[in-house]
Amino acid sequence: MIAALQLEDIAVRFGGVHAVDGVTVSISPGEFVGLIGPNGAGKTTLIRIVAGMVKPDRGRVVLAGNDVTGKSTASRVRKGLALTHQVVRPFREMTVLDNVVLAAGYRRTSNPLQAMLHVERWRESERAADILVRIGLGGSEGKLAGSLPLGEMKRLEVARALAVDPRIILFDEPLAGLNQAEAARQIDTIAAVHAQGITVVLVEHNLEEVMRSCRRLIVLNDGHVIGDGAPTAVMADPIVFEAYVGSGSATHAAH
Amino acid sequence: MSAYEISLLSVIGINVILAVSLNMISGFCGQISLGHGAFYGAGAYAAALTMIASGSVVFALLSAIAVGALFGILVGFTSLRVHSDFLAVTTIGANFLFTGFVRKQGWLGGEMGISGIPESGFGAAGNMIMILLFACTTIALSVYISHSWMGFAFRAVGQDEDTAATVGINAGAYKLAAFGIGTALAGLAGGLYTFFTQFITADAFDFILSVMLMAMVVIGGIGSTPGVVVAAVVLTLLPEVIRFVNNYRLLVFGGLLVLFIRLAPGGLAGLTRKLATIAAKS
Amino acid sequence: MYYIDLAVTGLSFGCMYAVMAVGLTLVYGLLRILHIAHAAVFALGAYVTVIVANATGSVGLGFLAAIAVTPLFGMAVYRLLYEPLLRYRPDVPMIASVGLLVLMQDAFRIAFGEQGITFRHNIYAFTIFDISGVRFNAVQIAIVVCAIVVFVGLHIFTTRTRIGIGWRATVSQPKIAASFGIDAIRVRYLSFAVGSALAAVAGGLVGLLNNLVDPVIGSVVSYKALAIIVLGGLGSVRGTLMASLVLGMVEAYGTIFVGSWLNRDAIAFIALIALLMIRPQGFTGARAA
Repeated sequence: MIAALQLEDIAVRFGGVHAVDGVTVSISPGEFVGLIGPNGAGKTTLIRIVAGMVKPDRGRVVLAGNDVTGKSTASRVRKGLALTHQVVRPFREMTVLDNVVLAAGYRRTSNPLQAMLHVERWRESERAADILVRIGLGGSEGKLAGSLPLGEMKRLEVARALAVDPRIILFDEPLAGLNQAEAARQIDTIAAVHAQGITVVLVEHNLEEVMRSCRRLIVLNDGHVIGDGAPTAVMADPIVFEAYVGSGSATHAAH
Repeated sequence: MSAYEISLLSVIGINVILAVSLNMISGFCGQISLGHGAFYGAGAYAAALTMIASGSVVFALLSAIAVGALFGILVGFTSLRVHSDFLAVTTIGANFLFTGFVRKQGWLGGEMGISGIPESGFGAAGNMIMILLFACTTIALSVYISHSWMGFAFRAVGQDEDTAATVGINAGAYKLAAFGIGTALAGLAGGLYTFFTQFITADAFDFILSVMLMAMVVIGGIGSTPGVVVAAVVLTLLPEVIRFVNNYRLLVFGGLLVLFIRLAPGGLAGLTRKLATIAAKS
Repeated sequence: MYYIDLAVTGLSFGCMYAVMAVGLTLVYGLLRILHIAHAAVFALGAYVTVIVANATGSVGLGFLAAIAVTPLFGMAVYRLLYEPLLRYRPDVPMIASVGLLVLMQDAFRIAFGEQGITFRHNIYAFTIFDISGVRFNAVQIAIVVCAIVVFVGLHIFTTRTRIGIGWRATVSQPKIAASFGIDAIRVRYLSFAVGSALAAVAGGLVGLLNNLVDPVIGSVVSYKALAIIVLGGLGSVRGTLMASLVLGMVEAYGTIFVGSWLNRDAIAFIALIALLMIRPQGFTGARAA
C-alpha cells in the first residue's frame, strides 16, 4: 500500500542550527498521527517542510507516491495535501462562506486561464455551505472572516482544509489559544474529519487531547525522531520523558 | 460635435482604459504598480513604428498590445520576488528606465520623439469612436473578470498570497496574468494615443503620469471598476472645466491623492457604500 | 587626470547622497515606511537656504534657517500623514508619500517659478582649487566635510550619549527599548527632525553647487536614495554611507560605459532593480522587502 506521506532523511539547517536533522517517517492512509516534542524540537519546521513553505537541505517528501520535493505549496494542495496554520489566517476581508467557496473551487482556480473562463459558483457555494454546517459554523456564512472569535476562526480553517478534497491534513497546533471546552470541541471536529477517511497529522502541545485522540505518536527532539508508536508506549519511554523534563534521569534508570 | 469635444472624449476614453487596466493589476490583484506609464509608452512607440513601417492600423494596434504585454510580464516577474512598497519602487524604476532608455535611442526619436506618424484613416471622429469602443470593451472585460473565478483568485492573492497557496492558488501565475492583461490594455491605450496625436515623446509616459493614474485608481476606489471609471472621467474633465486645476494640475492631483488616502482610503466607491448604508438605515 | 576628476565628482556626489539618505534610512528603520516625500524636505531645505541667503546676504544664515524650518516640516509629515496610516499595509503610506512629493514640487513651481532661483552671492561654487591638475570647488569640499561631520557625529551620538543609545535601541529592538522606558514616539520625532535637517543641508549644498534651486531639485536624488538604502541594508546608517559612496563612484565612472544608451540617473535604477531581484532583503540589513 502506498504511504499517504513519506519523509526520507529530511534535514534543514538555519544559521548553524540543525532544526531538522535526518527525519525519516512513513504514514499510512487513514492514520491519526500526533507529532509532539518539547519546544524547539523542530515540529513546526518539519510541518512547514511537508507543506512546501520551507526548503529542506536534503531529503524527499513523497505524497501518496508523488515526489513533491521542491514543489510549491499550491501544487501540493492539488496533490491532496491540506493544512491549517498555528496562527490562523483566513481571508479576513472575505466572508466566511467565500473563504470556503474559494477553497472548494480549487479545480476552477488551477490556472489563470481556467479561472478566467468560469464564472458560475453555485456548485461550490452549496458544497461550502454544507461543510460549514457540518463544522458548526452554520449561521455565520455572511460574516466577515476577520470578525470571528478565535475558536470559530480555527474551525473555519478546518472547513477550508476540507473543501479542497484532501487525502491528508496537517494541523499545526490547532488547539493553541483555545480554552478547555473549545479545545475538546476542536479535537472532536478533527476526529470527525478523520472518521471520513482522511489521514490526519497533528502537531500539538496539548498532550491530554493528543493522548485522547491520536493512534500513533511521533516524538521529535532536537530535530530527530526519538519515539514512534502507540501513545501509551511512547509516553512511557524514558527517553521521551527525559526530552520533555530534561533531568538526565533516563540514563540512570535501571533496566 | 466640435473638434475640441472630440479631442476631449478621446482623451477621456484613453484615460479610462489606462485607469481600469491599472485597477486590474493594483486593485483586483493588489500588486501596486507606479510605472503604468511605461507600458502605455511601450505600446505607443510600438504602434508608431509599426504604423510607419506598414501603414496598417490593425498591425499597429496588435503590436502595441503585444509589446505592452511583453514588457508588462517582464516587470511582472519582479512581483514574484518583491512585494508591496518594494514592488512599487521597482515599478517606478521600470518607468524611469523606460523613459531614460527611449530618450537616448536615435531610432526611437530620442529627445524629439517620433513625429509624422501616418493617419489611421478614420479621421478624428472615427478615432474617437474607436477609442470609446475599446474603452467600453475594457470596462466590460474588467467587470467580467471581477465576477469570474479569476477575480476571486486575484482578490485572494492580493490579500494574502501564502493563504492563497493553501487553497491551491498559484500566486505567481495569477500575478503574471494580472500584469499581462493590465499591461496589454495599457499598450492598447498607447496605440490608440499614437493615432490620436500622430506625434509621441517620452514625456507623455513618465512617472508623473503613472502617479496620476494611480491617483485615479485610489480616488475612484481601489478595486472598484465603476469607481475608477468615474474618477478617470472626472479627473480628466476637471482641468478642462476649472482653469485653476489646469494650471496647478499636479498640486491638485497630489493633494487629492493624499487627502483620499488619509481620509477616505476606500475612494469614491467606499464613500458611496458608506452613504448607501446610512441611507438604508434611515 | 580625467579619472581623478571623476573620482572627485563621485566622492562629492556620494557624500551628498549619504547625508540625504540618512533621513530616509532612519524613517524606514523605525516605521517600515518608504518616505519618498523626503525629497520634498530636501527641496524645501534648498529653497529656504537660497531665499534667506539672498535676502540677508549670508549663505550661513540661509543654512541655519533651513535647519530650523525643515525639522518642523518633517515632524508634521509624520504626525499628520504617516502616523494615522501605520495600521495599513506598507504601500499605503508610500503612495501617500509619493502624492505629497508631487504636490510639493508643484507648489514650489507655483510659488517660486519653474526656472528656479539662483544664489546672488555664491562665491563658493566659483572658488576653485587646483592641485596638480585636479580641479574642485569649495562646495565639493564642504559636502565632503559635511558628510564626515554628520557620520562621525551620528556615531558619537548613538554610542556615547544616553539619548543616542536609546534611539539606536529603538530602531533595532523596539519592544526591549520600550520596556527600558525609552519613549518610542519621541524617538520617531527625533528621527524625522534630524533626518529632515540633514536633508535640508544636503539640499542647500546641492543648490550652492549648481548655483540653482528649482522645483525638481529633489526628484532624482530621492529615487537614488531609495536604491541606496536598499543596497546599504534598510535601517543601517553605516550601510547607507557605504552604499552612497559606491553609487556616487559607480555613476561617475559608469557614464563612461553606458552613457551612450542610458542616461546617468538610470544607473541607480538598474542597480536598485538588480539588487532587489538578487537579494530582496538588502545587503547588510535583515529587513524584508
